[in-house]
Amino acid sequence: MSLATDAAGFATPPIAAAAKQNGAGNPLIVVEGVVKIYSTVAGDSVLALDNVDLTVRDGEFVCLVGPSGCGKTTLLRLLAGLDTADAGTSSLAGKTLNGPSPEVGVVFQQSNLLPWFTVLQNVMLPLRVGGSSRDAGKIAEIHKLLEIAGLKGFENKYPYELSGGMQQRAAIVRALARDPKLLLMDEPFGALDALTRERMNAELQRIWLASKKTVVLITHSIDEAIFLGDRVVVMSPRPGRIVRDLVVDVPRPRIAAETFGSSSHVALAREIRMLLE
Amino acid sequence: MADVRTETNALDLIAMSAAAAQSRRRSVRIRSIGIGIAGFLTLLLVWKAGVIVLKVPPYILPAPEQVFVALWSGIAVSPASPLGWYMPLWSTMSNALLGFMIGASLGLFFGSLMAEFRAVETALMPYAFALQSLPKVAIAPLIVIWCGFGDGSKVAMAALLAFFPMLVNCFAGIRAAEVERLELMKALSASRLETYYIVKLPSAAPYIFAGLDMGIVYALLGTIVAEFLGAQQGMGVAITKAQAVTDVAGVFGALVVLGVTGILLHLVVRRIERSVIHWANRGKH
Repeated sequence: MSLATDAAGFATPPIAAAAKQNGAGNPLIVVEGVVKIYSTVAGDSVLALDNVDLTVRDGEFVCLVGPSGCGKTTLLRLLAGLDTADAGTSSLAGKTLNGPSPEVGVVFQQSNLLPWFTVLQNVMLPLRVGGSSRDAGKIAEIHKLLEIAGLKGFENKYPYELSGGMQQRAAIVRALARDPKLLLMDEPFGALDALTRERMNAELQRIWLASKKTVVLITHSIDEAIFLGDRVVVMSPRPGRIVRDLVVDVPRPRIAAETFGSSSHVALAREIRMLLE
Repeated sequence: MADVRTETNALDLIAMSAAAAQSRRRSVRIRSIGIGIAGFLTLLLVWKAGVIVLKVPPYILPAPEQVFVALWSGIAVSPASPLGWYMPLWSTMSNALLGFMIGASLGLFFGSLMAEFRAVETALMPYAFALQSLPKVAIAPLIVIWCGFGDGSKVAMAALLAFFPMLVNCFAGIRAAEVERLELMKALSASRLETYYIVKLPSAAPYIFAGLDMGIVYALLGTIVAEFLGAQQGMGVAITKAQAVTDVAGVFGALVVLGVTGILLHLVVRRIERSVIHWANRGKH
């Protein structure tokens, strides 16, 4: 999954995307009958996830949309190994998930960069913690990722010296540092203004096409979900259930100006809106 | 051509407004320094006038110039002279700094342990509270009994007083580490020790510096108190010696020296703080 071997894929993205949409990849994530119950401070139990099944194939870009409090973040936290389910199983590449895995990279709502580290120190953090911060190959890979993310020349800046969009791109590079199979993103662009967000969506698509990761992205924005996703999974309000799994049949690379007005986009957006009402 | 000219004008305007802002800042600074000097001169004048008008004898309150003479007589001597401020100040400072380093390190160590392990917190918190509410200066006689009239007592007293602000601040600072950052470390499968020194300790840095700032002044205080109780040298001894011969001007001189020293130590800590935690208060995300 190195970037170098993906150069061809990057040059001819529509083919790669078509392969993805035909379901060529094997299942990477399999979530079956997952239930998650939270107990509140007052002592009540809240059913956050109710019998959720989800399969994500290798190389797929899946967007999760749903109203606030529908358990999207809970599902993502389970996949990240930050929480454990009360019932059901989830597996990554055939192995049961029960804790954080180096095969999973997480991008949080806020960039969550450590302010006392430079950009380079921040994106190197997963290697440092994994004990491979001197691996020349991995360091070269990181520098390549920084370049793709448009952060070349900013390696020695501190996070407070970057714009919000650049901080979030650094967070994406950090999540990719260990070359994980799966990238989890929890409303990564929610804190950005609309124009920056649209540009970030295009950049994320570019990074994704270049790296061919499997991505699960949570968003509040229907447009963002349709623009980025191969599939859009719609969740219901609490208790969180998956109510619809829609395929986005738009070729890649998608361009905002073309995708947003297209008839398939409009139809999908209408369908999702009706489901969320 | 018109475009070029407007652009030049705009650049000129920017340069002019920057220059104006700079000169405004400079005049504000000059004015505040001026106000400071004027306030100080007024204080000296009121002091002098009060001493003359109320006929205060010099063994109660000396006139400002007498304090200045006492201060100067301690400055204008050889650094090795026992009559100057240098020897006692060196003695006090070296003991205070050694005690500060010991107390601050112990505070950092136990504060970290308490923040990291609930069991340690439960076991130590009651004692920490009890000792914290006790006026620690009241322990000084005990310490003199245990450590004698030498430098040991002074170092112990300084360490004791520097210990608590560090303990409390380090504990609070580590506990205040942001949940999101801790989860990031968890998602990376970081060890407890890695999480401690990569996230928790830097998160606590602003608190720790507040503790250091308090601790250094407390260490000086502890040393002086130990010196009052019986010692051969130090600023505390210089004060008690002057007091014994009702050299009130000498006492004032020693207080000025100590005050200036305290301010300098505070400024040194602040300077280090600014360069170490340059990232604080610059927006979190």
